[in-house]
Amino acid sequence: MKKWVYVILVLLFCAFVLKACVHKDNPASYPPQIRPKSDIERVEYPPQAKTVSINGVDFLQSQAPVGSFGGELRTSTIGEGPKTFNPFNSKDNISSIMSGVMYDGLLSTDPETGEPIPKLAKSLEVKGNDYIVHLRRGVKWSDGKEITADDVVFTWKDIIFAGFGNTSTRDSLIIDGKLPSVTKIDKYTVKFTTVQPFAPFVRMLSTEIAPKHVFEPAVKKGKDYFYTFLSTNTDPKDFVTSGAFRLKEYVPAQRVVFERNPNYYIINKNNEKLPYLDRLIYFIVGDLNNEVLKFEGGEIDVIGLQGANVARFKEREAHSDYRIYNLGPNTGTMFLTMNLNDRKNKDGKYYVNPMKQKWFQDVNFRLACDYAMDRKNMVLNIANGLGEPLYTAESLNSIFLNRKLEPYQRDLEKAKEYLRKSGFYWDKKGHLLDRQGNHVEFDLFTNAGNTEREAIGVMVKQDLEDLGMKVNFKPVEFNTLVNRLLNTLDWDMAIMGLTGSPLEPNGGKNVWMSDGTLHMFNQRQEEDRESRRYDWEKQIDEAYVKGALATNFEERKRYYDEYQRIAYEQKPFIYIYSPIIITAIRTKFKNVFPSALAGITYNLEEIYIDNDKDNNTKNRKK
Amino acid sequence: MQLLIYILKRILQSIPLLIIVSLISFFIIRLSPVDPLAELKLNPSVSKETLQKETERLGLDKPIIVQYGKWAKSFLKGDLGITSNGEKVSTKLKERIPNTLLLAVVVIFMTWLVGVPLGVLAALNRKSPLDRILTVLTSIGMAIPSFFFAVLLLLFAVKTGWFPVGGLTSSNFAEMPFGAKLLDLAHHLVLPVTVLFTISLAGLQRQMRANLLDVLDSDYVKFAKAKGLSDFKVVYKHALRNAINPMITLLGFEFAGLLSGAALTEYVFQYPGLGRLILEAVLRSDINLVMASLMMGSIMLIVGNLIADILLIITDPRIRVKGGAA
Repeated sequence: MKKWVYVILVLLFCAFVLKACVHKDNPASYPPQIRPKSDIERVEYPPQAKTVSINGVDFLQSQAPVGSFGGELRTSTIGEGPKTFNPFNSKDNISSIMSGVMYDGLLSTDPETGEPIPKLAKSLEVKGNDYIVHLRRGVKWSDGKEITADDVVFTWKDIIFAGFGNTSTRDSLIIDGKLPSVTKIDKYTVKFTTVQPFAPFVRMLSTEIAPKHVFEPAVKKGKDYFYTFLSTNTDPKDFVTSGAFRLKEYVPAQRVVFERNPNYYIINKNNEKLPYLDRLIYFIVGDLNNEVLKFEGGEIDVIGLQGANVARFKEREAHSDYRIYNLGPNTGTMFLTMNLNDRKNKDGKYYVNPMKQKWFQDVNFRLACDYAMDRKNMVLNIANGLGEPLYTAESLNSIFLNRKLEPYQRDLEKAKEYLRKSGFYWDKKGHLLDRQGNHVEFDLFTNAGNTEREAIGVMVKQDLEDLGMKVNFKPVEFNTLVNRLLNTLDWDMAIMGLTGSPLEPNGGKNVWMSDGTLHMFNQRQEEDRESRRYDWEKQIDEAYVKGALATNFEERKRYYDEYQRIAYEQKPFIYIYSPIIITAIRTKFKNVFPSALAGITYNLEEIYIDNDKDNNTKNRKK
Repeated sequence: MQLLIYILKRILQSIPLLIIVSLISFFIIRLSPVDPLAELKLNPSVSKETLQKETERLGLDKPIIVQYGKWAKSFLKGDLGITSNGEKVSTKLKERIPNTLLLAVVVIFMTWLVGVPLGVLAALNRKSPLDRILTVLTSIGMAIPSFFFAVLLLLFAVKTGWFPVGGLTSSNFAEMPFGAKLLDLAHHLVLPVTVLFTISLAGLQRQMRANLLDVLDSDYVKFAKAKGLSDFKVVYKHALRNAINPMITLLGFEFAGLLSGAALTEYVFQYPGLGRLILEAVLRSDINLVMASLMMGSIMLIVGNLIADILLIITDPRIRVKGGAA
C-alpha cells in the first residue's frame, strides 16, 4: 500500500517537471519571414563634425545635439577578452576594439557615406602620390603632452614600416619591394609619399597613432620586447592615449573598464570637452547565452542579437527599456566553394581526383550548382529570416557593391540545362552521371561546431541532391578543415565564411589574387607559384592590381565591378547569404545613430545618458 | 624520522610519474589536429609574413621532440614559458589561482561542516524519517547534473534580480570600502557555491553515513556498549575515529580537484577561475598554458595523496605501528 503512494508521488513529480518541457517545446508563435528592406533604420545623422579653433587649439566640434555629462555604458565581448592593448600588436577583433577606444587615427570613416573624414588630422591634401596631413594644433595626449608630427612620423616610420608587431599593414603597402616614405615638414605637417598611386593608402591613415615619448623606449628594446609591450598585464597608469577613453582597470576574464580622457580633442556645440560618459565597461563573457542573460538581467546596455532571440526581444520591446535597431546585412559572406586545383602534389599525385576535376573546372557545373541553391529557404530556416540572399563577392553593405549583378531565384530546370550542355545525363533512378558515365559523387566539408554552417551544409546537400548528385556531407573540426583548405588541398567542396571590409575591397586580395594566402578555390603552394592560371583568374588579378593603383572612386569602382562580374559569372564561390545585424540598446542612451557601415557605438564620445524617464518613453517605437 | 624517510621515498617515486604524465600530455596535445594559428590563417587581412613569424615564435616549425625538450628544460628551471598571446604563463595562472582557491575552499569547508554531521546524524537515526528525508535530498543532489543546475540558478538570478549574473566582482569593486568588497564577493559567490555544495555534499554525507554504520556494526562497538559505556562515548570516542579514516583519503583527492575541479560550473557562471582558463587554452592548443596547468594538477594530486597518507599515519595508530615494524 505504502509503495503505491511513493510510486504515485514520483510519477506526479516527473509529470510536473516534464510539464515545463512541454510548454517550452511549443512552436514559436512568430513565423520567420524575410525582412522587408524598408525595415532598416533610416537615421537622421547630425552634420559632419568641423574644426573649431579656440585659444590656438584646433578642436573637432561634434554637431550632434548637446547632452549631459556622467554615467557609464556597459557592453560586452564574447570570448577570452583582449590579448593585448597595444594597437600595433593586435591580431584579433577584440584587441583591436579595445585599442581603438584608446587610440585615435589620423582619419576615420563617415558612418553614412563611408568616406574618409578627419579625426586627429585637421585636413588631408592628396597630390598625386603625395598625401599631406595637417595636424591639429594644441591637441594633447592624456598625460598633457602635445600630439605633433613627431608622433606621426615615429608611428609610421619606426613602428609600422620597421616591422614591429603585426606587420599586415606594412606588408600590404610594399609595392615593388618599396615602402612609402614619411617625412615631417613642420611641427604640424607630415607628408607621406607612395611609390605609385595607391588608393587603399587613404584608409590606412586611420591606423592609430602612438605617443612617441611612451613607445620609443619600447621600440629601442627590440621586436621581442615590443611584442610584450602594453600587454594585458600593464599597469593602467602607463597608458597614454589620444582616444576618448583611457584604461582604468582590466580584470582578467571579467571586464575591462575605461574612464574618460580629460584631454580629448572633440568638443560639443557648447565647446565642452567630450566624451559625455564617465566610464565605458566591456564585460568579458564566455558565450552568447550568458551575454543575453546579462542583458536581460540589466547588467549590460548594448547587445547584438541573433536567431530566435530577435523575435523574443522584439516582442517585448514595447514594454521594455531598450530599442532594437536593424543595421542591415553585415560584412560576413557565407559561401560554397569547389576545389578548382588542377595540379599535382609533391608525390606526383593530383590533389583532386581527375574525374572530379572535370566537373569542378566546368563552369556549367558550377552554374548548375548555383541555380540549385535555395537561398531564400536557407535564410528563412537557418537565419530565422534575418539574412539577405547573396550573389556577389562584395558584401551587401559595401560601397563598392556592383549593383548591376541581379539576384535570381532557384531554378532547377535551368540548372539541369547547364548540366546537359556539358554532357551530364541522368540514369533511370535519377542519378547524375558525367559524359564518361561516372556517378557524380563528392564530399562536402564544413567546420563542425558552427551550427549555422552545419545547417547550411544539410540544405546545400539536399539542394544538390535534387540534381541527382550524391553529396557526402562531412562536418570536420575547424583546424582540420583549415588544414585541408590551405595545406593538404584534398577536398572537393566546402562551406566557409569570410568577413571583409565594406569600404576597401583591396583587403580581399589575399582571397582573390591568384597567389593569395586564402585563394581557397585554387590555392597555390609555394612551389606552384608560377603554375597555369585560368583566364578569368588572370582577369581578376588584373582588376585587383589596377583597382589598387587607380585613385579616384569611380575609376576604382569600375575595376572592382569588373572583378565582381567575373566572380558572378565564373562562380568560384557560390555565395549563399549575409546575416543581418540586429542590435539592442537601452533607450536612456541618446545620440545613438546606428549605421550599417560603422555599427552602433562608433561615436562613443557623443553618446550620453538622458535620465529623464519621459523622454525615454517618448522615443520608443509605437 | 621514519616519517621523513617515508615522505622522501614518496617524493622520489613521484618523479618518474610526473615525467610520464608530461610526455603523454605534451604529445597528445601536439599530435591533435588543433592548429594554434588556424584562426589567423583564415583572416584575410593577416599577411603570409606575419603567419611565418608567428610559427617561428611559437616554435611550431621544429619537430615535436625538440619542442618537448625545450619546454622541459625551461620547466625544470621554474620558467613556465609564455602563452600564445605573449603573456607569461605564471602571471596568467597567478591571476586565476586565488579565485579558484577561494571558491574551492569555501565549498570544501561548507560541505565538511555540513556533510559530516549530517552523515553521523543519519547513521545514528538509521531508518528513521530523518534518515529517509536526508536520503531523498542527497539522491536529488547527486542526480542533478551540475551544468544543468548552474544554468537553472542563473535563470533564477535573471528573473528575480537577487543575484548577479555571473562574474566575481561588481564593476565598481575597486572603489568599494573593505566591508562592501567582502559583501560583494559573497553576493557573487552564493550561486556557484550553491551548485558545487549541493553536489559534493550528497556524496560526502552518504560516505560518512555508510562508514559510520559499518563501524557501529563491528564487534568492538558492541563490546563497548555491552561494557556499559555511554552512547555518547561509544560513538564519538570509538566509532567516529575509525569511521573518519576513509574520509581523510577522500580529502586528499579533493585537494587535487581544488584547482581544476569546477570547470563546468565556472564556465556557466563566467567565474574567472582556472577551469575556464584551461578550457580556453586547450581549445586554442596553447601548449605552455595547458602543460603548466596539467603539471600543476598532477603535482596537486601527488601532494594531496601524500598529505592524506601522513594524516592517516597520525590519526590511525594501526598504520603507525605497521610503519614502525617495517
